[in-house]
Amino acid sequence: MLKTVNLSKIFRTDEVETTALNKVSFEIKKGEFVAIMGPSGCGKSTLLNILGLLDNPTEGEYYFLGREVSGFTEKQRANTRKQNIGFVFQNFNLIDELNVYENVELPLIYLGLSSSERKRRVESALEQMQIMHRRKHFPLQLSGGQQQRVAVARAVVANPHLILADEPTGNLDSAHGEEVMNLLASLNQNGTTIIMVTHSQRDAEYAQRIIRLFDGQVINENIKAGKLEANTL
Amino acid sequence: MFANYLKTALRSLMRQKNYALINLAGLSFGIAAFILIMLYVQHELKFDHHLSKRDRIFRVVEIQNEPGVGEQHVAITMGPLAKAMLSDFPQVKNAVRLMSAFNVTAVSRGEKSFREDNLYYADPSVIDMFDISFIYGDPAKAMQEPRSVVLSRKVAEKYFGDAAKAMGNTLLFDKTSFTITGVMDDQPETTHFFFDMLVPIATAEALPAFEWMKGWNSNSLVTYVELDRPSSAAEINMGFDDFLKRYAFSKDDGWQYLEMYLQPLSEVYLKSGHIKFQNVTAMGDASMVNVFIVISILILLIACVNFINISIARSVKRSREVGMRKVLGADRGSLIIQFISESAIITLTSVVLALGIVELVLPELNKLLGTVFTIDFISNPMFNAGLLLLFIVISLVSGSYPAFYLSRLHPIAVLRGISGRSGPRSGLLSKVLVVFQFIISVGLLLAVFVIRDQVNFIRNKDLGIQYTNRIFVGFGESGFEKIGVIKQELMQHPAIQSVSGCSYVNGVAGSQGPVFVDDSANTKLFVRYGFVDEDFFRSMDVEFADGRDFNGLQSGDINRAVIVNQATVSALGWDNALGRKFVFPQSADSSGKAEIIGVVKDYHYYSLRSPIEPAVWIWSPERFRGVVVKYANSGNRDEIRSFIESKWTSVFPGLPVQMTDATNYLTQNYKGDQTTFTLFIYFTMVSLLLSCLGLFGLTSLLIEQRTRVIGIRKVMGGTVSQIAIHLVKDYLLLVFTAGIIALPAGYFLLQKQLDEFAYHISINVIHLIVPVLLALLIAFLTIVFKAYRAANANPVVALKYE
Repeated sequence: MLKTVNLSKIFRTDEVETTALNKVSFEIKKGEFVAIMGPSGCGKSTLLNILGLLDNPTEGEYYFLGREVSGFTEKQRANTRKQNIGFVFQNFNLIDELNVYENVELPLIYLGLSSSERKRRVESALEQMQIMHRRKHFPLQLSGGQQQRVAVARAVVANPHLILADEPTGNLDSAHGEEVMNLLASLNQNGTTIIMVTHSQRDAEYAQRIIRLFDGQVINENIKAGKLEANTL
Repeated sequence: MFANYLKTALRSLMRQKNYALINLAGLSFGIAAFILIMLYVQHELKFDHHLSKRDRIFRVVEIQNEPGVGEQHVAITMGPLAKAMLSDFPQVKNAVRLMSAFNVTAVSRGEKSFREDNLYYADPSVIDMFDISFIYGDPAKAMQEPRSVVLSRKVAEKYFGDAAKAMGNTLLFDKTSFTITGVMDDQPETTHFFFDMLVPIATAEALPAFEWMKGWNSNSLVTYVELDRPSSAAEINMGFDDFLKRYAFSKDDGWQYLEMYLQPLSEVYLKSGHIKFQNVTAMGDASMVNVFIVISILILLIACVNFINISIARSVKRSREVGMRKVLGADRGSLIIQFISESAIITLTSVVLALGIVELVLPELNKLLGTVFTIDFISNPMFNAGLLLLFIVISLVSGSYPAFYLSRLHPIAVLRGISGRSGPRSGLLSKVLVVFQFIISVGLLLAVFVIRDQVNFIRNKDLGIQYTNRIFVGFGESGFEKIGVIKQELMQHPAIQSVSGCSYVNGVAGSQGPVFVDDSANTKLFVRYGFVDEDFFRSMDVEFADGRDFNGLQSGDINRAVIVNQATVSALGWDNALGRKFVFPQSADSSGKAEIIGVVKDYHYYSLRSPIEPAVWIWSPERFRGVVVKYANSGNRDEIRSFIESKWTSVFPGLPVQMTDATNYLTQNYKGDQTTFTLFIYFTMVSLLLSCLGLFGLTSLLIEQRTRVIGIRKVMGGTVSQIAIHLVKDYLLLVFTAGIIALPAGYFLLQKQLDEFAYHISINVIHLIVPVLLALLIAFLTIVFKAYRAANANPVVALKYE
């Protein structure tokens, strides 16, 4: 699915140079559920942004679906992104002016699908996330859990190969958090690759593998074989 | 995809109704002001456009450079000029002379009798050159016979009820009968030369009284020429020197100091400010048109700036949406289209609202300008095209900032809340834009104060002549015969203090000519002639500097004595004028000489735009064209007017009463200035209002976004007033900066404008300080309430925000 080789990201301001990622190398296979963990400021989100093609690395190579993408232009990244990657954020990032249906529909619009095809896919995603009854509501009229389910629906509606989740339960209470994690797990069971950044050990339990970052470096790649087997059953 | 933009745009507007309202109100008023000004501009530019040969028609203008007067441009020319040009310049295909039929006092048919101001003598070629279309009659024959007349449809209906009945019928011009040989379409209002009765000029030429028309030494009519092609004008201008030597300079009393040039017809209406004497029925001012175009664009810019500033302030909120759209695959292009469409929606709504505002305001504006502007989508294609262009330009200008700035934002930065906060750069842009708005507002305020003082200065300046409580009653060419009777009759009214015969209410006639001093050098001076009787100067409170007034008891004064003004004395370099003599061919003295008996103090017989020129007065009853009636302060104006009217009809039966308050002469001289000033005030108010609206919107938004900072300051012990001052002072500094920039530029431009007046005020410190203070005060009032409320809010609530 994807592979990084000596990936580095350095942020420079006039006075300070911060190394957010320092020669990070790992590989993630199709169908995996990987959690990235580490303390605040260790580079988790930076890594996720690069993996999600929202940002380019300063150095190193990044292979996505077999292509070296680290030198992609903004336009190339946007194109690759909208066809292959879905995003789920801690703060949901739904557009307040659009209702549930329209929020979920948005990626399909940018993909240029016909309106009937969009309708079919949006309704199916909403059914899957059990939020169909709320399709006319606006984000601010929903609970946090409901908003995150809409966000997940939006992430999956274009059938991406990869879902990137940045602290998906960070703004939710435990019951809603569990609900969202179960959704992600079931998506993974259906074949979607998921990479999730999290602080929560409990959430990380859902993953088959945990990559631990500290000061921009991978310190531990922990494959939880048992879980993987359980999931493949 | 567009439906999605539309939805987002509308909902985003609805969500922040206040700001949507500020945007809508600002743009609507801005666009309305722009449309109003453009209607005016379009009207001004439309003059004489109905003439199909307009690019080949020119008016002949003289440059006179006579001693005592200085250089002056005059568009009144000599009788033989047209014919001579036709024969000497092969490029001249057609020539027309038009001369006001000033000798006709009343036109009548049965009971109906009117003074006709738009009655002209003209060459028959006028029909072709001015595209006159006939409803009745044959254009080829209508102006061939003497004592024939062509009427406009309106005039024909006035006398005959039905235009068809006019043909072949007659009208009495004073006592002479004229046959109607044609009825023409009414001339449009947008012509610099409006006529509705045309008489063949040969009719006048045949009269003994018009003998002078045949010579080169008197200017009395307008000459228009039609050339083979526009570029021939330059050749003719080159040829005028020789041409004038052949004709005008040949006589001793001719025009040695004369040049001529052709003025394109397209410039006659708007660009004749430099021409001192001309016969036109309407006159515009190109520089005024330009000023208003600039103002309208500035107002639009102010409105657009409001839109942009509010967009910048709101970008904090919108940036998150932009980021998310980018994550989901939107590219820059689609985001730019989205934001431009949003501004297009607001602009379109504003255009519709603006049209409503224009509909409401138009009647008032029409009253002020004396126009009949309407919103006309059908027969004014320029209006539609202009509106469309306006819509596109405003949508692009207003939408450009959000479109290009927001679409450039990096999605990660935005989503994580790092950027999108109005960063230092967008903050700077907002400030620059606010400064820009207030530069315009302060500049316009400065203009208002300076122009107001100038208008008052002119209104209150001692002109040296009094017009209040005086009425001028005109009696045309022949009324002078009964001047003794009418004076006697009118003096019977107890409130009437004096009645005096004169050429015009200001004491001078339209004519200007040379006087020759009776000395060995036969010194010549160009002067303005005035014809008044022994009561005029006293009636009008014109003071004497030296000598005496005409005296009725010494009948020898009539046509024999001369009064001059101080300007004449100084132009001739005399110490003492009394007793000196002019050589006057028309003098009643057998020696042909007239003695100076008095010197009046210089008074302004024309507007304050021009300096006082040498003038000479003669008591010459046959040149009187009316009387000035002076009445006591205690007199009842209306009652006196009806008294005059009744006496008038008994003394001059069949002569229409033409009565005007002498003060009208004054106001009419400055009416243009007054109207301009009023318009100026309106548009300054609009610009100031829009600037404040924008400032209000901007500060409200920024204060809202600073709620947390305000909360922290309060928790740290800041008092309400400290915090409010902190919030307000930055913006006042911007307004102050704008003032500092606006003043020098405004000073320079206004000084130039003031120099147009021969007598004007000088711009002082008060003029410069007050606009800045006023702008500061208005800006302060605009934001202080919002700031105070924000500062007063509960810090706990404030800190929860974000």
